[in-house]
Amino acid sequence: MSSYSVISGIIQLVGGILLCPLLPGLIQKVKAILQGRQGPDIFQPYRELRRLWGKSTVKVEGTTFIYQLAPSIACAVMVMAVLIVPISNVSPSWGIGHDAFLLVGIIALGRFFMIGAAWDTQNGFGLMGASRDGTISIFAEAALVLSLTACALESGSSDLRVIIQSSAGGGDWASPVLPLALMAFCLVALAEVGRQPIDNPDTHLELTMIHEGPLLEYAGRDLAYLQWNASARHWVVLTLMVEVFLPHAKSTLLQLVALPVELIILCIVIATIETVIVKMRVLVVPRLLGIGTLTALMAIVAWKMAL
Amino acid sequence: MSNTKVSTYRERVEYLIGNSMRFAGLYGTGQGQSVASVFVDQSGKAMLELCEVVDAKVPSIVDIVPAAQWDEREAHDLYGIVFEGHEPLRPLVNHDSRLEKWTVATTGGDVYQVAVGPTHAGIIESGHFRFHVVGDRILHLDTRLFYKHRGLEKASETKDLTSGIEYVKRACMACSVANGLSYAHACEVILGLRPSMELRRVRTILLELERLWNHLNDLAQGCAGVGMAVGNAAFCYLVEQARQINNKVSGHRFLAGSIRVGASSISVDSQELEVLSGLLSEMRTSVESHWRELTFNSSFQDRLQGVGILNREKALKLGIVGPCARASGIIQDARNGCDWLAYDDFQPVLTREGNGDVKSRFEQRIEELWQTFDLLDGLLSRPISPANCDPTGVPAPVGVGIVEGARGQTTCVVESNGASIGRLHLRSASYANWPGVACCSVGNLLPDFPLINKSFELCYACVDR
Repeated sequence: MSSYSVISGIIQLVGGILLCPLLPGLIQKVKAILQGRQGPDIFQPYRELRRLWGKSTVKVEGTTFIYQLAPSIACAVMVMAVLIVPISNVSPSWGIGHDAFLLVGIIALGRFFMIGAAWDTQNGFGLMGASRDGTISIFAEAALVLSLTACALESGSSDLRVIIQSSAGGGDWASPVLPLALMAFCLVALAEVGRQPIDNPDTHLELTMIHEGPLLEYAGRDLAYLQWNASARHWVVLTLMVEVFLPHAKSTLLQLVALPVELIILCIVIATIETVIVKMRVLVVPRLLGIGTLTALMAIVAWKMAL
Repeated sequence: MSNTKVSTYRERVEYLIGNSMRFAGLYGTGQGQSVASVFVDQSGKAMLELCEVVDAKVPSIVDIVPAAQWDEREAHDLYGIVFEGHEPLRPLVNHDSRLEKWTVATTGGDVYQVAVGPTHAGIIESGHFRFHVVGDRILHLDTRLFYKHRGLEKASETKDLTSGIEYVKRACMACSVANGLSYAHACEVILGLRPSMELRRVRTILLELERLWNHLNDLAQGCAGVGMAVGNAAFCYLVEQARQINNKVSGHRFLAGSIRVGASSISVDSQELEVLSGLLSEMRTSVESHWRELTFNSSFQDRLQGVGILNREKALKLGIVGPCARASGIIQDARNGCDWLAYDDFQPVLTREGNGDVKSRFEQRIEELWQTFDLLDGLLSRPISPANCDPTGVPAPVGVGIVEGARGQTTCVVESNGASIGRLHLRSASYANWPGVACCSVGNLLPDFPLINKSFELCYACVDR
């Protein structure tokens, strides 16, 4: 194991588990500035976590173990996702490897349990959010799987480290496969992190909630888990974007140095999108994600034609 | 005012409606011994029809005037009057805990209900909405308001006419001028007073200032309804500026207490006037630029078009008033032809399309904002001094005040008992428009409801009086 491998592993753990709340914190701050407000600083998500951690949880009457276990399972799954997404071509394998399709399955598992928890509480808003989340994820997953497939085909392996290795540098970018996969993934990224135009994380309007809906019944530590989960999701999705889908350097050092810079830029881009674009009508979302699916299909077709 | 016998009551109402009179309210009076209904003719003159209650029963007029449905339900709850022919007569003010008493039964395999409120996640007044939904589509909506019914009308009885304003102004802060002015005018009719030209000017300024901040606030809320945080922030900033102007003029950010019966004590000297005019013209420029940005933001416009359509026919049937009625293509504005305020040559504006969707309701407000800026420009041409009323010497037993507030026509009926209030009835624009919200939500998506609701932006407090 090289020293870069060790450094990659440390950054992956510290970044994905401890520093991930900075990402939504930064987005909030940039949004506030763009709206002409001062806004809370980027450490606000940590204060929220501390506040929630000190509060007791709520046991909803009539619920089963699914409701109680869902936050922990969602978090466990997200820790796994953090481990699966490599931050460089030499990231340690952590004993579970870096398979792209394992990542898709793992994310779906977390969602499955959150939807199950909404069913368990029978809360109208939770169910509404869960059903919308389920519907949208069908479309988002198709685009996600296909865009990852395009990358995997291009590099001949579904191991994300191999994909990073083979698509590094400028060579592969001459073909349309990777740019098309990137375009598809951009739409998936917005859906997965629950940002506008797909979802509005700041909303107080119960009727419009998607990801926030199933969270309504949770309080205290459970909610802290789920908020961390949302932050870690930002890390997973954005890291995947930076390291796999966006053009990246051949040198491991450059990959590691570019990561924080690009994450900050992506957060600013997300904040800007959220400021200038309003939340779209919920039934139009599948169409938008359908465009992502088609784009990813085009990437695969482009790969086939280039053979 | 005219008395009608029970036997000819419905015929009389049919006759009035047939002669293009508009319904403007119905209430129980005389300790529940009679029912009074208000009708307004084209020129804005009000007429009161009294019908005696026999054995606690009165024929319903809801089939002739569907707009009277809330009024009849309220009169039933407050006075126990049964309206024959109004079936089912659901409770309105008197909340029944049994769901089947106040909601419409919807059946079917996939129908489910979503109950929202009365406590909401945001800073919203108390109101309960019960959606009957299939998937994300609204089949039917039952609203239950009146959670904070304060009995203001009842409490004002036996108080003298001048102090009655204290009750009316507490009905709602957002509409304090419209409500107060309709009351003040009703009292002045009773006392045989006619406002001087200066008093008319001051009152018109106050009414337009209220419209200014309310319309700006409606636009800010509309932005919030679609998650347009930056538009919300921009318009909220303008609302704050408008409220500061209110404070400069009247000493209260919501203009509360600025309306008095028969007089006004507001004075603005020429120096302050110059500052105000400067602020208003600056404001107009910012509204123009913010609105331009919203107009060209396609993601924003996509959300508005074709959502929450209230067509002209339905709006007329439900007796919708104000900008929401005009957005549905109904040319109706109580400012038009009002001879006791300074609205000379006023002509209501309509939006180009006016098909009654959310988009046209927002555009209607913008059109009216330009009008308001123009009106204020003209009215603030000289300093304001305290003003009084001139006696006409013709007192009346009953007075009706009709005012076009920010949300539409507000009607206040005052029945006098000597120099004090015998019965006070306030029917605000929100009261008239709430059934419209429920009606035009049907067939729309549940996540679009906050936007539809915000395109009406009605007060809860105005009906919780």
